This record gives sequence, C-alpha cells and structure tokens, in this order.
Amino acid sequence: MKTNWVWVLTFIGPALILLMIFLIIPIFASFYLSLTDFNVFAMTDWSRARFVGLQNFVELFKDELFWKALINTFYCLVVAMPVTVALSLTCAVLLNREQTMFKSFFRTSFFLPFVTNTVAIAIVWSWLLNPGYGLINWFLSLFGIKGPNWLGDPKWAMPAVIMLVVWKAVGYNTILFLAGLQNIPDFLYEAAELDGATSWQRFWYITLPMLKPTMVFVTTMMIIGYLQLFEEPYMLTQGGPLNSTLSIVLYLYRQGFKFFKLGYASSIAVVLFLMISALTLLRLKLAEQE
Amino acid sequence: MRKRRTSLLQEVTVHGFLFVMAAAMILPFLWMISTSFKTPAEIFVLPPRWIPEEPTIGNYKELFSSINFGRPFMNTVIVASSITFLSLLISSMAGYAFAKFRFKGRDKVFFLILATLMVPGQMTMIPVFLLLRQLGLLNTYAGLILPGVASAFNIFFMRQFITTIPNELIEAARMDGAKESFIYFRIILPLSKPALTTIAIFTFTGSWNSFLWPLIIAQDESMYTLPVSVSVLAGQYGENLGIQMAGSCIVILPIIAFFLFAQRYFIKGIALTGLKG
Amino acid sequence: MKRSLLIILLVFALVTFSFAERTLKIWAMGEEAKNLSIMVEKFMKENPGVKVEVQAIPWSAAYDKILTGIAGMQLPDLAQMGTTWMAPFGAMGVFEELSSYMRNSFISEDLFFEGSWQTVKLHGGVYGIPWYVDVRVMFYRTDVLKEVGYDHAPQTWEELYDAAKKLAARGENMYGVSLLYTGVFGNEFMPFAWQAGGRIFDEKEKVRVTDPEFVEAIEYYARFFWEGLAPIGGGNLFQDFASGAVPIFFSGPWMVSMIDQQTPEIKGKWSVALMPRKKARTSFVGGSNWVIFNTSKNKDLAWKFIEFMTKPENQLEWYKIVGSLPAVKSVWEYPALAIDPVMKVLGEQLKDAKSPPNIPQWEEIANAISRRVEEVIYKKRTPQKAAELLKKDIEKIVK
Repeated sequence: MKTNWVWVLTFIGPALILLMIFLIIPIFASFYLSLTDFNVFAMTDWSRARFVGLQNFVELFKDELFWKALINTFYCLVVAMPVTVALSLTCAVLLNREQTMFKSFFRTSFFLPFVTNTVAIAIVWSWLLNPGYGLINWFLSLFGIKGPNWLGDPKWAMPAVIMLVVWKAVGYNTILFLAGLQNIPDFLYEAAELDGATSWQRFWYITLPMLKPTMVFVTTMMIIGYLQLFEEPYMLTQGGPLNSTLSIVLYLYRQGFKFFKLGYASSIAVVLFLMISALTLLRLKLAEQE
Repeated sequence: MRKRRTSLLQEVTVHGFLFVMAAAMILPFLWMISTSFKTPAEIFVLPPRWIPEEPTIGNYKELFSSINFGRPFMNTVIVASSITFLSLLISSMAGYAFAKFRFKGRDKVFFLILATLMVPGQMTMIPVFLLLRQLGLLNTYAGLILPGVASAFNIFFMRQFITTIPNELIEAARMDGAKESFIYFRIILPLSKPALTTIAIFTFTGSWNSFLWPLIIAQDESMYTLPVSVSVLAGQYGENLGIQMAGSCIVILPIIAFFLFAQRYFIKGIALTGLKG
Repeated sequence: MKRSLLIILLVFALVTFSFAERTLKIWAMGEEAKNLSIMVEKFMKENPGVKVEVQAIPWSAAYDKILTGIAGMQLPDLAQMGTTWMAPFGAMGVFEELSSYMRNSFISEDLFFEGSWQTVKLHGGVYGIPWYVDVRVMFYRTDVLKEVGYDHAPQTWEELYDAAKKLAARGENMYGVSLLYTGVFGNEFMPFAWQAGGRIFDEKEKVRVTDPEFVEAIEYYARFFWEGLAPIGGGNLFQDFASGAVPIFFSGPWMVSMIDQQTPEIKGKWSVALMPRKKARTSFVGGSNWVIFNTSKNKDLAWKFIEFMTKPENQLEWYKIVGSLPAVKSVWEYPALAIDPVMKVLGEQLKDAKSPPNIPQWEEIANAISRRVEEVIYKKRTPQKAAELLKKDIEKIVK
C-alpha cells in the first residue's frame, strides 16, 4: 500500500503535537541544562547559568553516591522484573479461565494497590516490616525463622523496597495481561483441545505466542519504570540506611529539587535516559527477532 | 462453548493462590478504611483491630464540616473525564497508525514517543509550567487537562494491542473501498474494547489522583481538585491518621465505583466473527 | 459636550478610587492557612477597601509549588516561609529586602528571639519577619524514668546516657531514647554538636567539624545506637512512648497536642524538659517567617499585614487559635503563656536555641552530615575519620 500522508498525519498528528509541547520540548530543554551549571542562583536569572560542557558528566562519574545509586537501581530491576512478570501473568491466566469463580472480586482487589493512597501504603508497609511486631516477621517466626530488621539493616532494606515495588506492580500488570488475554480468539483453544493438547501445552503454544505484543509492552514498561525507581524508597527509607536504597531518580530528585543543582540533576537524567533507551532498544530488537 | 473439565484439587490450588494474592492487595486498603473510623487512641493498638471497638464517624464529620467538596469534586470530574476521553481518542488513533500504517520514519517517530517515558517527570515540571504560562493556560481547565492527554504509555499500549488485530480484516475493508476513518471507528475501536477499558481505567485513576500538577497550575482555590483540597485539609491535622485516612477514602471511593462500572467491559466477547466466516 | 465628558471622567475617577478594592494575595501552609481567615477578617475590618485572599497549600507539596512559582514568576504578594527554606529561596532573589520598611515601623530586631531573627537575615539584609517559632525539647515519661531512679528529667549528657542505659536494661525491646539514624537528620543532630561546643563554620567561614567538640558529639550520638540504647528500624513514636518502650525523645511543640490526642491514656505521665547540658543546653529553633515577594504590586499593604500579625495582641490571639509559639518575646509574659508549665519550658529553651547556618547549601550540608554520622552509627567509620570526610564534603559544597 502506498503511504497516504494525509491519513498518517490525521491519525498521529494530534498526539504528536501534544507530546511535542508537553514532553519533547521540555526534555530537550532539560538536556541542554545538563551542559550548564544551572543552580539556585540561576533560578530567576537564567543568564547566571554558565555553559560548562561535559563537566557535569565528568563529575558524575567520579561521584561515589551516583555509582551506589546505579548499582541499587539495577539490583531492583534484576530481581523485581522476573518476579513481577511471573506473578502477574499467573494471576491473569487464572483470572481468564472459564472455571474461576469470584472474578470480579479478584479483579477489584488487584486494582486496589493502584488507587490506595501512598501515605496509607507507606504506613501499612512500615508496620508490616517492623522487626519486632510486624506481620511479616511474625509469619516467618511460625517457621522458626527469625526475621531480619528489614528497614534498619543495610542488607535487607533493598529486598524490603523490592517487595513493595512488586506488590504495587502485580495488580496493575495483571490487568494489562488480562486485556491481552481477552484478545486471544477462543477458536484457537478449541482447535487445540480437539487435537488433545494439555493445558500446559495450550499455555505454551497458544497463550504465550499470542500474548507477545502485551509481553513486549509489559517488559519494556518495566525496564523504563523500574529504572526510574523513586516512590517506594522515598516513602519507606528515603534512600537509607547507609544509602542502601538510594536509587538514581531519588538521587536526581535530591540534587535537583533539594539542592537546586538542576544542571547536575539534568546530567543524571541524561545518563539515565541513555541507559533506559539502550535497554529498551535491545528489548524491542529482541522482540523483532523472536 | 464447552467447559473444560478440571480436577477439584486444581480448582482449590487456583483459588487458594488467588485468595492469597487478593488478601495481600486488600490488606492496606482495609487498614485505611478501618483507620478512618477510629479514634486516635485506637489507631496504634496492638495487635491491630480491623474492626474498631469504638467506631466513630468524627473524622468524616470534621472533613465535611470544614470544606465544601462540591466545587473540587466537579473540577476533578471535569478534568479526569476530559483527560480520559481525549487521551483514549488520540492514543487509539496514533496506536492504529503505528500498528497498521506503513510510512517512512515510522519506527523512529515511535521510538521518539517512547523516549519521552524515559525521562523522570520531575525534569519536565518547570519547563512545562513556563510553557503553560506563555500560552496563558495557568489557572484554566485547559492547563489542567492538556498535559495529561499526551501519554506515550497509552499510545504504546494501543499500538501493541492493535498489532494483534488480524491484517485480513483491515485489508478486506480497504478492498471494499472503506476509508481509514471508517476502519478506525467501525473495526479498530470495537475490537479494542479490552485495551480501551484498560487504559481508560488507568488514565482516569491517574488523573483523578493527580495531586502535584493541579496544585501548581491552580492560582486560586476555585481550581483545586479533590485530592488537593483533601490534602490541604488533612495536612492540617498532621499526624492525625484517622482524618488522613478518611480523606483518602473520600478521594478513592468514586474511583472504585468507576472501576466496578468499567470492568464489565472486560467480559470476553470478541468472537472475531469477521474472520471465521 | 466637553463639560459633560469631564464630569463623566470625574465621576468615573471618584468611583474607581473610592470603591477600588485592593486585593492582597497570600500563600499559607497547613493548619496556618485555614485558621488565618480569622485574622484576615479582623485585618479587613481594620482596613476597609482591602480584600485578602489566602491560598491554602498542603505542606507536602509547598516546596514544589513555591519553586515553580518562582521559576515562572507567578507569585502572591506575601507568603509564609519555613525558616529553613529562607536561604535557598532567598538566594533566588525573589524576597523583598525589608530594612527600609522597618525604619518607619514598630518592628525591630529586639522584638524577637535571637535564634529566630537569625533565620530572616540573609547576606546582610533582612528578608523576612518571624511569625511563629518552634523549638526542640526533651519529651520524657515521668513514671518510667522514676522506675529507674530518676525523679527528674536527665539534665546533662552523662545523666541522659546513664538513664538510657538503665532504661534499656529493663529487658528485650526496651530502649532509652529515640534518635534519628537515617534520612536527613542534620537538624536533629546539630543540637548535640552545639551542646558540646562544636560548630560547622567559624567566623572566617572555615569548616570546623574536625574540632574535638564536634567529633565528641558524633561519638556521643552514635554511642546510643552502638549500645542498643536507641532503636534502629521500625516502631512508632507514639506507640513506643505510650507503652514505655522508648520513654525519651526530642521534638517540637506540635507534639504536645498530638500526644494528648493520640495517646490520651498517658495523660499526666509525661512531661517536657530542656535539652541536656554538655557545655550548653542549646536546641534547634525553626518555625515560619513572613516574606514579601519583590514582584508584588502591593508591598505597602503586604507590610501592613505583617505589622498587623506582629502586634503583640494579635500574636497572642494567634497563639490561642492554633497554639503555635509566638515569635515576639513580650507575648510570653502574658498569663496565658506564663503559667502553662509546658510553655514555660519551651520559653526557657528558646533563650538557648540556634538555627543552622543560613546559607542556600544548608540542605546539602545536612545531607552530608547525616550520611557521615550514619556511617559512624553503623560502625563503618570511626568518628574521627567520618569528621574528616565530612570536612571535605562541606568544603566541596560551599566552594
């Protein structure tokens, strides 16, 4: 088919214009900032920000805390992503079965972490994770395990943050998977059943391949989202103890909005952007090859 | 359609797993509701009481007596529904184009859109504020709505979903001489119901709860949305969790109602009959 | 024809001048914002033709609201400003310098507590007027301390340490005192440094955190954690205070009504006391100031409002409405404050209270302090080594 540019522009034009104004231009503006020493004194008088070239980046690579944040963030991604995918895909498949009862109830409860107020979440979680009388350690004690001092121990704080990350993401991704599953035509399953396929085979040879676009979407968004880890450590630990839960965006936020070093913060944003886009491209390339 | 046979053991395992997951999701929510009915003395009692011994509606009374929620509520309804409607429209249009049109630079433009998700929101806050001021949109509904409409997330999701719609359906319609607008409205939209429902839920919820942006755009209190008004009020009580939680409940109750309404569209119903025949 | 035109113009001018309402826009936060309407009513009654609009902003987002407001120059006439926010936002050059206004006014430096006045002074000028103050004191359980042989609050560093030791020895999950160990606790740690005689900068702006006094404060603070006298991880301040598990903590006046509200069962079993003494009993003073933005077209009116809020009778009324501590010293002599035992301690503590260096980099320094002290708490570094690293951090920050 020959490209009909009128239709192309009609369909993508509105989205493109809005994105241009509210995202693309502001992002370029902030990328430019990464080459300046924009700080508190330049906030009202931009002429005071000097062009410094790559100095922010040089400094960034010497910044001990930035490396710490980098490692922490990847730790979270590597652990949280497979766990989230496994749990939410399982939930979605189970909810999509004919025989499952109380579907509406389950769907609604999976939706709740998404709407529950963050203050409430933070309070409940710090209570759940309390070493002395929290629910989690009480549960572990039933098996004779002495639970760790979750938020007080630099070794255990990150696993605790990851638990909250996964908890918040599972319901949300379940709903996304569910939408994908809804689009797999029934006749495929019916045909497979006639051929005598087991339910495991049906999952492996029909569900997973048909779910590929959703899977690509979900995992790509997870790379993008988890590498921007911010809210969970901000709420639970503020990056502590001993900076063991300091994430890249938390560090960026601190530099930019607590210390007003917007130039330096922007250079963090640029590095983060480059890392995320490299990984995202890799993910999309892999998807094409499969 | 025939029901597949399953064993009792399998059903027990499946439902057991789902119940455990559901319990984990509901717990904080229940705690929030229960706390909103507690007096301060009862909040920190251990072990926690899920049902308050001396339930009180004092927290709600306090909130409703000191503020008129009418205006903020209407503001939120207007803003959240406009964002949802517009975003669904433009992102399904763009999603269709990216999934089914072939044009030069398609993947590059698409990746550019995707790239906007890779920069943390904090970085764009100030530039967008300055832009809106230049456009004269501060303190207006347009200023509250437009930045929320542009969603790369929604476009990406719609594109992925529309990819799974068989090309044969579209090609057949084009053969019959259907215009792209006809295909979009008569084929793509009806077949995308589960996806549209999903992003409608996410977009509506997200813009309903959105807090920082409405506060920054609003130059006086008449433009406040529900979460802003509630947090102004609840913030006054500092650590008084009862009132804080009552405030949260007021904000999210309408969303849960919306979800219960919207999830009807999750019902499996796409037979893709056009292909079978 | 000409005459009628003139008459019309005259009438028009008359109408405009007599009925023109001038609108004063104020940003205020939290509890202050809501209750401010009572004072605003009174102000408008005293000043006919003036309309005051208060925009209430939640504390949780006030920082971002002010920041974007400044970046876009969309600001009200005046605003409430947290004392630790004075320096960073002041450095952006949006506050009106107020010395010239003070020349023809009853408002002068000696009206206010010294520590509080420090927070309005930026690079030599006066950029705000104190509104209310807060100061950290020691909260303690009288009954629990009696159990371990203290019929008074610990008065010195030695007593506090000794009491904490005895309190922690009561059993498992029992502690002496609650101290912050993670997050940003520069404002919580600094009183200990001041008490020991330490300081961050000297008069020549040289960094002095490696002085023995400062190092001693780090060690004293960390020792409570090393020996299990202060809890790490979890717990709830109110709950642990009510149960007696952690019977001592340091906090500000807002805690008084909160303890009454949240844990009424311990009424009469707790009290407040001055900070413990090493060389001094210095505490941290905070609170809020009034600032006028230099973009305002109603600066005279804004100043009039500040004068109104500073008048002793109005400061007293404000104390009665929300219970925040008056910044004006003379108000403390009114019986409403003078006979209240808690207020007495707070008033006493205010006489020995400091604010951190009023420089825009304070937040960054506070972060560095927290990071290094935390490393000592977790025994990753010795106090001496941490102080040396902290010195380097701070020198780099202010460079």
